[in-house]
Amino acid sequence: MKKISKLICTLAFIFAFSLILTACSSDSGTTEDNESENTQEEKSEVSNEDSGEAQQGGDLIVGNVSAPTLFNDMFSSDVPSDTIEGFMFDPLTTIDENLEPAPGLAEDWEYSEEELKWTFHLREGVNWHDGEPFTAEDVAFSYNIPLNEEYTGPRGSHFASIESIEATDDYTVEITLKRPDAKFLFQTTVYDILPKHILGDIPVSDLDEADFNTKNPVGTGPFKFDEWVQGQYVKVVANDDYFQGRPYLDSITYKIVPDKNALLAQYQAGDIDYMRVSQSDMPTVESLIDQGQAQLEKVPDLQYNYIGYNLRNPIFEDKKVRQALTHALDREEILETIVYGDGELSNSPGLPFSWAYNEDVPVFEYDPEKAKELLSEAGWEDTDGDGIREKDGTKLSFSIKSGQGREVREQITQVAQQQWAEVGVEVTPEIIEWSAFIDQIHQFDYDAYVLGWSLTADPSITSYFHSDEVENGLNYGAYSNPELDKLMEESDMAMDQEKRAELIEEAQAIVAEEQPYTFLYSQNGNHLFVPQLHPNMHSGNSYYKIHEWWMEQ
Amino acid sequence: MIAYIIRRIILTIPLLLGVSVLSFGIVQLAPGDPTALMMDNPGISQEDREAFLEEQGLNDPVHVQYVRWLGDIVTGDFGESLIYQGTPVTELIMARLPNTLLLMVVSALLAIVVAIPFGIVSARKPYSLTDYTVTTASFLGMATPNFWFGLVLIMLLSVHLGWFPSGGVATLNEPFSLLDRIHHLILPAIVLATAETASLTRYTRSSMLDVLDQDYIRTARAKGFKQRKVVYKHGLRNGLIPVLTLIGLMLPTFIGGSVVTEKIFNWPGIGLLFIDATFQRDYPMIMAITMISATLVIIGNLIADILYAIFDPRIEY
Repeated sequence: MKKISKLICTLAFIFAFSLILTACSSDSGTTEDNESENTQEEKSEVSNEDSGEAQQGGDLIVGNVSAPTLFNDMFSSDVPSDTIEGFMFDPLTTIDENLEPAPGLAEDWEYSEEELKWTFHLREGVNWHDGEPFTAEDVAFSYNIPLNEEYTGPRGSHFASIESIEATDDYTVEITLKRPDAKFLFQTTVYDILPKHILGDIPVSDLDEADFNTKNPVGTGPFKFDEWVQGQYVKVVANDDYFQGRPYLDSITYKIVPDKNALLAQYQAGDIDYMRVSQSDMPTVESLIDQGQAQLEKVPDLQYNYIGYNLRNPIFEDKKVRQALTHALDREEILETIVYGDGELSNSPGLPFSWAYNEDVPVFEYDPEKAKELLSEAGWEDTDGDGIREKDGTKLSFSIKSGQGREVREQITQVAQQQWAEVGVEVTPEIIEWSAFIDQIHQFDYDAYVLGWSLTADPSITSYFHSDEVENGLNYGAYSNPELDKLMEESDMAMDQEKRAELIEEAQAIVAEEQPYTFLYSQNGNHLFVPQLHPNMHSGNSYYKIHEWWMEQ
Repeated sequence: MIAYIIRRIILTIPLLLGVSVLSFGIVQLAPGDPTALMMDNPGISQEDREAFLEEQGLNDPVHVQYVRWLGDIVTGDFGESLIYQGTPVTELIMARLPNTLLLMVVSALLAIVVAIPFGIVSARKPYSLTDYTVTTASFLGMATPNFWFGLVLIMLLSVHLGWFPSGGVATLNEPFSLLDRIHHLILPAIVLATAETASLTRYTRSSMLDVLDQDYIRTARAKGFKQRKVVYKHGLRNGLIPVLTLIGLMLPTFIGGSVVTEKIFNWPGIGLLFIDATFQRDYPMIMAITMISATLVIIGNLIADILYAIFDPRIEY
């Protein structure tokens, strides 16, 4: 009887939810915040309460809604490809729990200020999956790909500060920069090293079509490519020769289940061992945990969500208006009710667990009275009694856009509409198909929009707020502030980390005061897995030290 | 007859050309481009995106792109996917098309095998309890959205009872087995077939009712033929003619329905590929799948017309 009523509950639950979700919602294949490319996490590395010794063996099945595209880091730009590349390849350095670079294929490195030169000392005795030795030539080859004029992939700008790369002996690489670039070391945590002995003879213009990318990738990583069945799964098997020791797991199968409800159902049916779940799935997840069928690890994502304003629109020119809009929005309530409290409020573009985070920035807490005052000060008054403020004959009325298929953000536009109406601002939410939405933002065809940024481990904010980034960059709102520009430029050239943190924190405070965005919150990543699994993860990497993951047999 | 078929096949060429012009135009009208999804990725700059568009020839005028595309098609080259960079579209489609066709054919057979007998039973005793039961079930079947029905079946039969796999075409990490394949096929085929079974039942019922009311049936009865013979020999053959049209037209419905079913059941077919391609503006992929679907629909209609001639001697081509 009990079982039946539970069944009915479940069915009712599915019914209710499925009416809301359309089966075709488009949350697939995007490099969008909630599956950030470099999902970052807080300091404390997550690992299970130790239940004894790590055991050898086990086939891990990872489930995800979107499919990979190809396994070559210089050409792929989606999260699933990046994840699977992480199983098979290694970068020069890795990101540790503190979001700082740690040894990878390079054991240590030094920087010469006068010569603008990085020297990396590589690990000896590392072999490619086909048995060939890994050497400095491979590093020079890989980093030279995006510098080549024939290069067709999307990563060129990341390597733009490199003057030259030279393998001085088998295990030493010298990289000379054109200018001081504090972000460079972080780039070495991102890009995988590719085998020169396999790809070296292919013209760079043809590299994107190499069979290597889809049929037989060869790396130095803990797992070797086994099989990719289009639309179904990618399987990798343990590399017995891995330089940090053979992985405990025998294989990882990355299974693609495009529908997120079906994905969770597959977990319940025991067909998946590890997956990310969204906040709206929490009720089901909690009952799974209660029944001992699952464990959940919450790790803050390296991302934040915000409402951006088009500063080319005269309405938003005055920072008092922007501050008032933030004051008028109950961000706590948004976090509690829409995101189920699963995240943290943001007040600046910094992340609390980063080594560059200013805790002491101006905060515009929920205060509608204050908002009204600020709007009046800025000259917006309701003179005709229709409940909407005007100034010089213009109504304080605008639209707020969001991309389709991101339910949380769609709800945020509605909350904004209601709450801003209370202070005399008329807002119309517009939900637009994703590609069209991005296009419109890019053409400045918007007033305000809700979006999120997925960040890299490097805390620089230059790409988002520098005035040079308006036309061709990510500064979608066209925010421009010479003082901030200068500060951010300095921070990008400060090779000393403490000095750099100071500069970035100062920049964060300016952005927080200026409110080119209403900062909303940064969310947690929720990782669901079977109780037998002992994973490691942190904000910078949800598959941290994958070779040390193990399963109770 | 043969001449007719050849004529029809030749006629498909301008038809496909028209489809291609229309869909190429519509796809290009959609705002955004394949780089939209790279846009909020801080690792990819605007210059990188521009370079990508230029490299792929997406900055050329639409008619130039169309002519180039058409030229390639004539030589059998459907181009390379913009999302799965460098992989030929045909390779990606051929890896999945068999799955979709299998699912469609099995569902179609299932729908026919279930619907026609039920339709006949209903028609033989109209307004009986049986008829009402079948009718109610049909309406339910038509009204049930298949993504919901699919999830309910998964929850009930896979998660709680464990009778069926929860998705995919085969069990992971196991060698190929026909039984395993069939086991995986059952639920998605049922879901995809449900709505079509329901409407086909309704059609069969009304068509049979119509026929059983005709003078020649009364004549047959008056001659003293057995009821079975009257219904199945004289009635069925005539009653099924309109149903055949419907079966021919089922194909487009299946292509549409398979998108949703494939997604729920993690069935790696072209429906899913098409949806993703559309959202990501993978132009060569969208065009290739559109052309394949158009061809399938044209073939479906052709088959329906040919079956017509076979079943209805009055029709001559």
